[in-house]
Amino acid sequence: MGDVDKMKLSTKGRYGLRALIDLAVHSKGEQVSLISIAQRQEISESYLESVFSLLKKAGLVTSVKGARGGYILVNRPAEIKIGTVLRALEGDLNIVDMDSGVKEDAICHSIKHNVWDKVNKKINDLVDAVTLEDMINEYYKINGSDAIMYYI
Amino acid sequence: MIFSLNKIKYLKIVKWVVKMKISTKGRYALEAILDLAVNSPNEYESVRNVAERRNISENYLEQIFSGLRKKGIVESIRGKQGGYRLARHAEDITAGEVIRALEGSLAPVACVSGGECKQKCDRYDLCVTNILWQKMMNEINTAVDSVTIKDLVEYCTKLETQNDIEYYI
Repeated sequence: MGDVDKMKLSTKGRYGLRALIDLAVHSKGEQVSLISIAQRQEISESYLESVFSLLKKAGLVTSVKGARGGYILVNRPAEIKIGTVLRALEGDLNIVDMDSGVKEDAICHSIKHNVWDKVNKKINDLVDAVTLEDMINEYYKINGSDAIMYYI
Repeated sequence: MIFSLNKIKYLKIVKWVVKMKISTKGRYALEAILDLAVNSPNEYESVRNVAERRNISENYLEQIFSGLRKKGIVESIRGKQGGYRLARHAEDITAGEVIRALEGSLAPVACVSGGECKQKCDRYDLCVTNILWQKMMNEINTAVDSVTIKDLVEYCTKLETQNDIEYYI
């Protein structure tokens, strides 16, 4: 089986969230170019393109065209739940796909009700209780509030 | 350039990392353990019988049981009357133990294990998201560790009693 079957968030979820935090930290009310995010986060620009098109579809960011174009947040960071971001990038955050191959017997019902449903709820509750603003605050706590000057 | 080397490494990882889902191995392991606990709480049960009831191939189930045996969750005897049974009481086995026996760590991202960063990567000091992944992993482990096989058996019994009552009404 190897690594393919291990339970992991995809790179879209991981890199996408990092990129969005980067955007929020560096935006100051203006659009941020993908190339600057790509350089700071060491993620390829073309990969970021696909990530931001998902975030745009979900109504989390909007794009500004032109020479100084880029992306900008639609709402304030305090209004953006991390759960919304991750679900936009990952589809759903359920740990087990309930549609595929679950049998209709007492054993499967018991496992679904007592294990999978509980885990799915815990994951979604956790990411819905954290906002993008919390992540930004965390960023400043780790890097210091003058860290941004260094990176610009 | 170190930078470009890192990029090559990233590309390799990208190919392996898929959606955050428990694989069929972990799911079937839990089904198989519960099947043993419900249908053969004390006796050794053949892989064939469990495979038939669960509609899983015998070969695949044998792999799963062998993984569970290595972790001391089931024990086996060979021979005609051979098979597997729980190595401990159902109340002493958690769902988390069974899932992790086949899935390994339930970390949502590769760089987090045991609730902590596995290694300090070159972005460690700047990593804001690892705190969230660590919390996520703790939530997952707490949830699966709070359920024992006995809890699952009792819920099955309850369901079956309800069904019987409905049938008679």
